Amino acid sequence: MNYAVGDVIAPFTIESVSAEAMKDWAVFLADPNPIHLDVEVVKAKGLGDRVINQGPINVAYMMNMLMAAFPGGTIEAMDSRFLDNVYGGDKAVASGKITAVDGNRIDCEFSLDIEGRGTVNAGTATIRLNA
Amino acid sequence: MSDEAEFPPAPQVAGTSLDGTKIFTVSAEENARLCRSVGVAPAADGTAHPVWYYVATQVAMGKTVAGVCETCEFDVEDGPMMGSSGVRFSGPIMVGQPYKVGGEILSLVRKKSRKLGVMDVLTYRLRLHPADGGDAILETDNVWVLPRKELA
Repeated sequence: MNYAVGDVIAPFTIESVSAEAMKDWAVFLADPNPIHLDVEVVKAKGLGDRVINQGPINVAYMMNMLMAAFPGGTIEAMDSRFLDNVYGGDKAVASGKITAVDGNRIDCEFSLDIEGRGTVNAGTATIRLNA
Repeated sequence: MSDEAEFPPAPQVAGTSLDGTKIFTVSAEENARLCRSVGVAPAADGTAHPVWYYVATQVAMGKTVAGVCETCEFDVEDGPMMGSSGVRFSGPIMVGQPYKVGGEILSLVRKKSRKLGVMDVLTYRLRLHPADGGDAILETDNVWVLPRKELA
């Protein structure tokens, strides 16, 4: 497959961010922070009225987009900035485009956007295409 | 007068070791569960989802999240926030492969922002190695923001 600078990467969409998944991630991360598990705690802290997705889940959504866009490719490097929270029930869309092509390496920029609220994560990645 | 002169300096924590002693292994069941939780199927080639970079290094580093905060003289109950996360892979994370973590705090810098007031910006680096030795398969730099409400 040929890739070119400016090519748009097919989006990866989560129709509704899962509060149940956050419970799994509390176990994966060994981190039972209640802002991911208990709406009442989120409200009490003035952070909103829905549970807040763990940050690395948002990274995973963006990784999923990259892996789907470059089948058999490998993420060599990835940097992402956390700009805002993602909440349970949000519709999240990861999207991006190619910014450089150098042999079998492809640079991309990407973002994670929430329907109605805009960009909550943004970053860059380098993908190595495997023969 | 500079902002820095308005409040005490951040604790001197650069260089603090985050080397872990735990062995971390991604099981096929855990990987499948994680993949389902983020909307994809697990890979069929034995590689784990790459986001395990974050999970494995956090769980098997030498301090808990609360412990890292304590080192920075910050109460985890005050709400550390993720600022950014970067990773460089030299190889994939494999299901069933035992790993260990090495790392250190790189910096803790006190700043003032209009949105958050006084805050400490913590940067730490972690590496994931095969448990039986050898070069790291990945290195990650994470940045957390620690709001210093007491200095606001």
